[in-house]
Amino acid sequence: MRAAVAIRSLVGGPSLGRATAVVGGAVVVLLVALVAGVGVGSVEVGLSEAIGIIGQRLGLPISETWASTAPTILFEVRLPRVLAGALVGAGLGGAGVVFQALLRNPMADPYVIGTAAGASLGAVLAITAPVLVPALALGAGTAWLGIGLAQVLAFAGGLGAVTLVLVVARQGGRSNMVTLLLTGYAVSSLLAAAVALLLVSSGRALASVVGWLLGSLGGTGYPELAVAAPLVLGGSVWLLFRWRTLNLLLLGDEAAAGLGVDLVPARRGLVLLATLVTSAAVALAGTIGFVGLVVPHLVRLAIGPDHRLLLPVSCLGGAALLVLADMAARLVGGVPVGVVTALIGAPFFLWLLHRAAGATTTP
Amino acid sequence: MPARRIRAFAPLLLILAVACQPTSPSLSPPTSTAPSAAAYPQTLTDDAGREVLLAAEPERIVSLAPSSTEMVCALDACDRLVGVTDADDYPAEVADIPDVVIVAVVDIELVVEADPDLILAAGNELTSSAVITELTDLGYPVMVLYPESLDEVLENIELIGEAINARDQAAALTAEMENRIQAVTEAVAGATRPRTFYEVGVFEGAIYTAGEDSFLASVITVAGGDPITGDPLTTSIALEDLLVADPELILLGDAANDPSVTPEAVSARQGWGAISAVQNGQVLVMLADAVITRPGPRIVEGLEALARAIQPDRFD
Repeated sequence: MRAAVAIRSLVGGPSLGRATAVVGGAVVVLLVALVAGVGVGSVEVGLSEAIGIIGQRLGLPISETWASTAPTILFEVRLPRVLAGALVGAGLGGAGVVFQALLRNPMADPYVIGTAAGASLGAVLAITAPVLVPALALGAGTAWLGIGLAQVLAFAGGLGAVTLVLVVARQGGRSNMVTLLLTGYAVSSLLAAAVALLLVSSGRALASVVGWLLGSLGGTGYPELAVAAPLVLGGSVWLLFRWRTLNLLLLGDEAAAGLGVDLVPARRGLVLLATLVTSAAVALAGTIGFVGLVVPHLVRLAIGPDHRLLLPVSCLGGAALLVLADMAARLVGGVPVGVVTALIGAPFFLWLLHRAAGATTTP
Repeated sequence: MPARRIRAFAPLLLILAVACQPTSPSLSPPTSTAPSAAAYPQTLTDDAGREVLLAAEPERIVSLAPSSTEMVCALDACDRLVGVTDADDYPAEVADIPDVVIVAVVDIELVVEADPDLILAAGNELTSSAVITELTDLGYPVMVLYPESLDEVLENIELIGEAINARDQAAALTAEMENRIQAVTEAVAGATRPRTFYEVGVFEGAIYTAGEDSFLASVITVAGGDPITGDPLTTSIALEDLLVADPELILLGDAANDPSVTPEAVSARQGWGAISAVQNGQVLVMLADAVITRPGPRIVEGLEALARAIQPDRFD
């Protein structure tokens, strides 16, 4: 069955009409989510006012009918946060697809081989350092080019942890995916223990640390977006160009070898690329769970396993889901968005699984 | 640790200051001899060592901590507050001011809507540093206040006085507070200092008290007690360490909000029966907890309540 699907996608892809409809639909859903995300918040900005503010920004001669603070709320507080949600959701959705294909494991998500644990250690180190070493607190909020220490260390930690996992897993010669998974699990456990140690000694920074671990989009500014966006979007597009390899992964090594393709070198590149995307997303928002695991499954249930559509639609769907989840989190007030994704997403996912019972739900 | 007087280029000096500064009950007289009219624009250094530029006299103040709210109101500037926290309960008129902090989370949108020209944040992650960064990036003057001793509460009041052009009120208020502090200091002078344990709370087996070198510890010291302190970061103390420290007096601050905390309940706790204070009936409920643990202008009331509990013989 699986092999048939993969081979079919090697021969003839989705028709142009269907691809347009599916991707177009996902784009529309994302746009609706973006508009809702910018339109809704704890301060009410009416639709006509919002349109006026945007028009004025575009240089149209519109008289001000809104409070002087409204443009700041829209453009400096809400919009960067909504864009961050879209970016992070897209990265996690796309990376989730790739890891599920790589590991041929329905439980795989972008964090499965150490990204989250490494990024957490980096960020938590950055957050707790000023508490543990008061001298560092003098420049509280120091940022380099608008990028905080937590973001930099999270990004480095995510990449570093996966590199470590890859190196350790290769010690036994050619690394198979089971070895990689188990190594990832072991390294993650080790790093998580270090995070726990820091948690215990974090004192007043505990709330910040827990907030980061649960994932939050608050406080994202344009400078961070400008750095993360090329990494996430560039990485996702690059992954999309490798759809053939991704489809072949579903066949397994032997079948691919029978078709004259050696997947081992291709696989390592895909792991690093997906990790790069994940690390950038995590650096921006913390370890938001659920999106990277569930969005690929949902999209696969809806449109099938061909990566030509699965990958872009998962990116768009992850973006829309996270923007809407963050909107809900903001309305409730101070609930980390990762909690919302799980609270809303998990029951919905269960319902879908139930509905799709009998259909193939695994890659 | 008067961080205001330490420049940011000397972090080593700061470490030394933290390490070597004893919590001394003596008070330095105010050094301010400047003219009472503030000139704007002015730059002030806050408790986090940050330079805060105030372009003009602040007319719209957002306070992110109840203690700062009380300071502003004590300087007759309550009417300038445009945003406070949902934990604010004093003075009564703050009930009408919009809340911008809900359940300890700062709602950035509500802060922006309040359109402040001065934001008073709390240090040591009471206001998270991410929020401080975000508000600073949005262009608001954010002043971080974190008094770590009784002296620094007075310094904070003077700092706010300078910031909002209320120096005379600040000088009058701190002078009155110093008189009351002086009176307590004299009353307890020479008295034997009981080993005092102030219970902030007990959760899931973790015992929270005054942290080492903390504001609360300094108040207990001035009130004539010898504070038993917990970890400087978490402010918790292990039961074993508490038993070794063997307090002669236990003050139940948490009893002010939790009626289940009583001297009887304390003596029934596993292991607490061995403590001298428990055996000698020296476990007291501190109903004044709100003014003892809040580093605002009413701290002198808290100090007096503490002194009466710790040194009852010295007060009629």
